[in-house]
Amino acid sequence: MRTLTTLAVAAAVAIAGFASGAMAQDDAALAPTMDLPRNETLIINNPEAPASNPDSFNLWVAGSGAANSNGLHQLALDTLWFIDPDAGLDGSLYNQLASEPWQYNADFTEMTVKLREGITWSDGVPFTSADVKYTVDLQASTPGFNWSAPFADAIESVDTPDDYTVHFKLKKPNARFHALFMVRWNAAWIMPKHIFEAQADPKSFNFNPPVGLGPYTLHSYDPNGYWYIWEKRPDWDKTALAIWGEPAPKYIIYQSIPDVDKRLIEMVNGNLDMIHDLSPEGMFNLAKQDENARGWFPGFPYAHPDPTLVMAIFNNQKAPFDDKRVRWALTLMLDPVEMSMASYRGAATLSAIAMPPTGTHTDDYHGPLQQWITDYELDTGKSKIKPYDPTVGTQIANMVRPQFGDAVPTDATMINKSFGYGWWKKDVKAAGELLEAAGFTNQGGKWFKPDGEQFKITINTFTDGVVNRLGTDIAQQWTLAGVETTPVADPVIYGTTLDLGQFDVATAWSIETWGGNPDLSFFLDSWHSDYLSPAGERQTARNWQRYSDPRLDKIIETMRVTEFTDHEANVALGNEFIKLMVDEMPFMPIMSFNVFSAYDTRYWTGFPTAEEKPYANIVNNWSNSKYIFTQLKPAGN
Amino acid sequence: MKAYFLFALKRLLQLFAVCFAGISAAFFISHLSPISPVDSIIGRVSGRSTYSPEAIRALRATMTELFGLDVPLWQQYLNFWGRFVTGDLGPSLLAFPTPALRLVMIALPWTFGLLTATIIINWLIGNILGGLAGYYQNNRFLKAFGIVAIGLQPIPHYIVAFLMVILFGFLWPILPISGGFAMNVRVAWTPEFVLSVLHYALLPALSLVLVGIGTWFLGMRALVSNIVTEDYVTYAELAGVKRPTILFAYVIRNAMIPQLTSLAMTLGLIFSGTIIIEQVFSYPGLGTLLVRAVNEGDTTVVLAVSSIAIIAVATAIFIIDLLHPIFDPRVRVE
Repeated sequence: MRTLTTLAVAAAVAIAGFASGAMAQDDAALAPTMDLPRNETLIINNPEAPASNPDSFNLWVAGSGAANSNGLHQLALDTLWFIDPDAGLDGSLYNQLASEPWQYNADFTEMTVKLREGITWSDGVPFTSADVKYTVDLQASTPGFNWSAPFADAIESVDTPDDYTVHFKLKKPNARFHALFMVRWNAAWIMPKHIFEAQADPKSFNFNPPVGLGPYTLHSYDPNGYWYIWEKRPDWDKTALAIWGEPAPKYIIYQSIPDVDKRLIEMVNGNLDMIHDLSPEGMFNLAKQDENARGWFPGFPYAHPDPTLVMAIFNNQKAPFDDKRVRWALTLMLDPVEMSMASYRGAATLSAIAMPPTGTHTDDYHGPLQQWITDYELDTGKSKIKPYDPTVGTQIANMVRPQFGDAVPTDATMINKSFGYGWWKKDVKAAGELLEAAGFTNQGGKWFKPDGEQFKITINTFTDGVVNRLGTDIAQQWTLAGVETTPVADPVIYGTTLDLGQFDVATAWSIETWGGNPDLSFFLDSWHSDYLSPAGERQTARNWQRYSDPRLDKIIETMRVTEFTDHEANVALGNEFIKLMVDEMPFMPIMSFNVFSAYDTRYWTGFPTAEEKPYANIVNNWSNSKYIFTQLKPAGN
Repeated sequence: MKAYFLFALKRLLQLFAVCFAGISAAFFISHLSPISPVDSIIGRVSGRSTYSPEAIRALRATMTELFGLDVPLWQQYLNFWGRFVTGDLGPSLLAFPTPALRLVMIALPWTFGLLTATIIINWLIGNILGGLAGYYQNNRFLKAFGIVAIGLQPIPHYIVAFLMVILFGFLWPILPISGGFAMNVRVAWTPEFVLSVLHYALLPALSLVLVGIGTWFLGMRALVSNIVTEDYVTYAELAGVKRPTILFAYVIRNAMIPQLTSLAMTLGLIFSGTIIIEQVFSYPGLGTLLVRAVNEGDTTVVLAVSSIAIIAVATAIFIIDLLHPIFDPRVRVE
């Protein structure tokens, strides 16, 4: 017994000693607890895992492990312009640190930016053009920063005629150069020159505590990276966000909760105000269990459609996916209603064309193109068919109505916005004709390639969530249609599999748009054949389908010398692109990436909504969610 | 005494050999990973902007050189040992240039605290109650405890963890289900911080204890049930030795020898963390660090965690080997 007691005491002493050594690191003079009044605190779910390097805030360095979505890029950092995927507070384009939009010269080889005056860094030092120049010069001249290559590729020189003017000379004409400084989810953040130039090695500097241009400063954080607490600056009015008013919360907490079910529990318990994403079932349950909680839409399908197109990406550098008849055949083997039900339980917004059915795109593209797509004819080699079914959205609405009742819209416009306009009809016969035209044969219900080998596909998909369910369903449908398909849950689908072209087909996305603007440069510029890598080599984002076409190059080259704000010209280029993609089907467009973001009005009101105030994307790891904080009001609880 | 020193020296040499072989194996296995840290970083960086193929090639060359991956594997292996013997495990490749050991030391106290406490609670309660149950075989309370232990023991601890979350986080929300301590408490050696850490550790610890205690209980009960039939126990009873003395000095002391060895090995495993419990309760620790490092190809961190686990298990066994003669006179004689 004495031995047991000795062991127990020894263990207790060991734990205490170990813990004290590891933890007694803070200033003991500070109060042991902090006052964070709940009615002055907004708690936001950071969907990402805790930061790899919790103490680092130097997110300019490639591989520093600094987190993005811990509030750093939402609350502390800033850059020249922002663009919202939704309507925006006064249009989707915001002049942030710039006082006005960009000015190019006639041939788009120079860009001049006027900066806002009276802005200060959080340590009181004025923000000037010298900070912008330093940000560009340091990264362009030093490999290993996140923006080193894009700056070095594009910029000939940068100079500062005065404290509030920056003048760029470009290496070649580029009407989209400003996009490097225009935040959609992220962009090149401006560095505080006075802080970084004092460092011997800016790349190994952890930038802790961060000195920012946003209205909040770092208050405290979990040494393990699970949460970060930010406090409103007393001089918040000296930041660019101030033109939209004072951000309401005194404190904002970003808390990493990787498990989606626990996000729901924390919101129901009043410990969370904004959830980044839930599962469809989680969202349906939250709507039932928490009367203060809701999603982007007031009822079904709840989710915010991100300007991201979920697709089945064919590897166009790999036979037989280099044959458009095979790509079209695989498309016609699928039932869109089944894909919607299997992935999103019906809460998907389908798109038959290469454009996310979100933001302003439905008005610019999907609606106006309905007649063209309905009349579109496909030659299977034996017959001509009209493959488009414009009633798919209505079919899904009717299917989910018995379960969700009045929450399901009945108005045709809302059905189109919520469930999509239509999709390609399942037509196994036409698919067979296309495969036969491509030299395939059907033996005993299985398809065989022209070389006599059985046609088998591996489809890489996400490890979980709706995209995983979609990939699994597609595999099942193709297998039933005679193409044996194996789904693979792939933890490195981005970063390795897609980039290195190690796949046949993948459910992921290569199209992400600005959302609130018809311009397609955000993803399309990188699809130029100049950026296409040979098979086996790493492909630069975002042409994961590894597709090239002289007609596509021409569209991109025209876009590069078309002013971003020329709405009509950009829509015309977009239409040309969409029609080419329908003809070629280098990937199969399926649906927008609908994010089941939710918020709770127990402590705060004024969040954006789809029906009344679609002023900002509520998906809260986007940095433009900062505009939401200026619109919030305390609920009085 | 000389014999004991020879015995200890032999065991010490074995300890070094085991550590060297284990860490070398961990080095080569972690470098077999198909996930390249350089590609992982390039993927993340180039996904945010348009990178030309030339720019990607330039970034790859920069990162490969920076990470010391531009030399043959055997040279990386020698470099690794060169640094290792000076206590430098190298920089984390995905939190560059933060030392991997620093990341490990941030996570280690949480895993060490949670697992050491739960393992010792399990070991003490399980063995004491198991010993009593084996000796007092007709006691109703101990019989009932045995039935509960047999019922809980096969349930995976992550199922129990989910039940804990639903029960105490949702249906009757009285305990925290996320994090290591409250957000409004400063990290310092204060009563508020300690109480908060204990408060937040309750559910993760309970999930481990409810399941873990049964293993020790059942093992000890079986051992004691065998020992009580031994002649020397019967003789002691017939000789009128007091029952508590028989139980603790004759029975449990003998049954404890294999249990102590198991305890040492279990304590050594602490250093590889408890991945699922950490994930379920968003609890900080080595498991989460290890999984992330494996997924992102951060071989330095994988090696740092593996090396510490190897050294810990081998050292724990070494210490038990040294202590064995103290607990077991038969070994002393040998």
